[in-house]
Amino acid sequence: MLDIRGLSKRFGYGKGEVTALHEVSFSIAEGEFFTLLGPSGCGKTTLLRLIAGFIGPSGGSLVLDGKDIAAMPPNQRPVNTVFQSYALFPHMTVGQNVAFALEAQGRPKSEIDPAVEKMLTLVQLLHLKNRKSSELSGGQQQRVALARALVAKPRILLLDEPLSALDMKLRKDMQIELKRLQRETGLTFIFVTHDQEEALTMSDRIAVMSGGRVQQIATPRELYDRPANRFVAGFIGESNFLSGKATGGVVEVAGGRIALPDATDGAVTLMIRPEHVVLSANAPDALQLEATIAQLVFFGTDTHVHLTLSDGEKLVARVQNALHGGLSLNEGDRITISLPDKALRVVKDEEIAA
Amino acid sequence: MSGPEIWRRWALALPSVVVIMLFSILPLGVVLVYSFLTPGDFGNVKWIFSTEGWFSVLFERNIFDDTISLSDANLTILLRSVLLAIVTTMITLVFGLPTAWFIATRAPAQRNLWLFLITIPFWTNLLVRTIAVQEMIRSEGVFNRILLALGIIDAPIQMMFTDFAVLLGMTYVYLPLMVLPVYAAIEKFDFRLAEASYDLYASRFFCLRRVILPLIRPGVIAGSILVFVPALGAYVTPRIMGGGKSMMLGNLIDLQFGQGRNWPLGAALSIALTVLVLLALIWYTRLTSGRKENDHV
Repeated sequence: MLDIRGLSKRFGYGKGEVTALHEVSFSIAEGEFFTLLGPSGCGKTTLLRLIAGFIGPSGGSLVLDGKDIAAMPPNQRPVNTVFQSYALFPHMTVGQNVAFALEAQGRPKSEIDPAVEKMLTLVQLLHLKNRKSSELSGGQQQRVALARALVAKPRILLLDEPLSALDMKLRKDMQIELKRLQRETGLTFIFVTHDQEEALTMSDRIAVMSGGRVQQIATPRELYDRPANRFVAGFIGESNFLSGKATGGVVEVAGGRIALPDATDGAVTLMIRPEHVVLSANAPDALQLEATIAQLVFFGTDTHVHLTLSDGEKLVARVQNALHGGLSLNEGDRITISLPDKALRVVKDEEIAA
Repeated sequence: MSGPEIWRRWALALPSVVVIMLFSILPLGVVLVYSFLTPGDFGNVKWIFSTEGWFSVLFERNIFDDTISLSDANLTILLRSVLLAIVTTMITLVFGLPTAWFIATRAPAQRNLWLFLITIPFWTNLLVRTIAVQEMIRSEGVFNRILLALGIIDAPIQMMFTDFAVLLGMTYVYLPLMVLPVYAAIEKFDFRLAEASYDLYASRFFCLRRVILPLIRPGVIAGSILVFVPALGAYVTPRIMGGGKSMMLGNLIDLQFGQGRNWPLGAALSIALTVLVLLALIWYTRLTSGRKENDHV
């Protein structure tokens, strides 16, 4: 439904020229909850502003329902935005804020009033219709911003880090609320965030961005299990990285050896999630390594075991806490650990940069 | 707060209170008293109570049969003053708003330069500036010469000593007074709101009318008052640009204290002008405080 083709954006000119987005291409399907995830300065907000139309691209095209909208001003695009700062009109009531888009389109009052009531009911704020938007709490403002952006039934709803200003508890509630809204409206959402947890819990698909480029586009599960490179592996969830040397499909790491057909000859980086590290010698098809327990950190649901390998490299294992008794491990213990070959992944060191 | 503390605060305010009493309230009192006296033969006043001065503000008595009629001359001038002040305010707003917008949307380092350029005319004497405008539009002035040379007109257009000339002069003189407060309001405006309105299908005009103007209204009202009040009592500009043909209240008052030798009428006119300004200020405070009430509904 939305095809982004070779879209790029440069700011400044001459020596001061900065490329914020390098020829990005991908497609978003109808009804998808699509997330742009990355650290600040990765180009995700630039991409969102290009889709909204606040800035024009330096190259490429933006095709919505078969029509190139790259040159279309924002007030003609069937795309609405929920802003990070909400940008509610402070001199208007909640109802007036929500009615704004329909009034700007010149719809008749007989159509506007029921639409506004319906939207406010959807975000559970009908009782605050006549309040000034400046008198609302952060969470309420957030929902007004949503209702305001949804009322004109856009083809795509853009959300620019809308939850970042809320406290932890409220953010969790809003994540569920947003997902519910998306299901109920059947709308396509493009959600921008730097919070990987938020992205993983809400999205159908995630585009991980860095340095103005898309590093990987995949479902949350795929991203977590099969990160395309070291950047993605490090940004999504927690990861251990081990450097080793591969010869003929066998990798040598910190005194251990394991057969990994994916590995190409030469220096390689292996990745393993902390929860996949087994703190015993008896696991089949695993890389077995000697390690010293440097530190045990209690996290409630689980314990993080910080390990030092024989070559000095560090590794973290995560062990779920049982109801009875603690771990029979102590700081300073020397143990043999197992890294199952299914959990080990050869990752490219370099990000996509070319 | 303890007694001495209160006293100290009053002591601090005392110099300004004295200055205001001595140079503002007291002279106003004198003017008020004079407006109820009888004109002297060679100016000044005779200490005989009379309402003739106030009567003459709006009416005139036929010297042959004592019939009373409305004073056409005074009414015309009064009406012209109010109209010219209102139109000046509107024109400065129409030109000042885009100017202020332009300055407020420059890079912060550039804004000071533009503000500096806007305030330059303030440093020049009002008389000199007004005469400069006169030089542009008088019959042998710059505009007429250019138009004549280009063959667009055959004879010079008479622009001096018309309402147009007074308007032009006042617009020029008072424009910065509109630009500065409007600029201050636009500078505080959150441009993300304009972005949000474009996103929500607003045209430029819709955004201006529904988002920008309501939010910069305090600046627009302040600018309008700053222009309207001095424009209503303008003296130098209508004197030079309007001459005897396009007089305003300020000139009429001057006339009564000078050639007219009717100080009570001049005093009554002055008080009338002050009341007009006061009404404008009351209207202003009601507009702005009404807004605050709305904010807290």
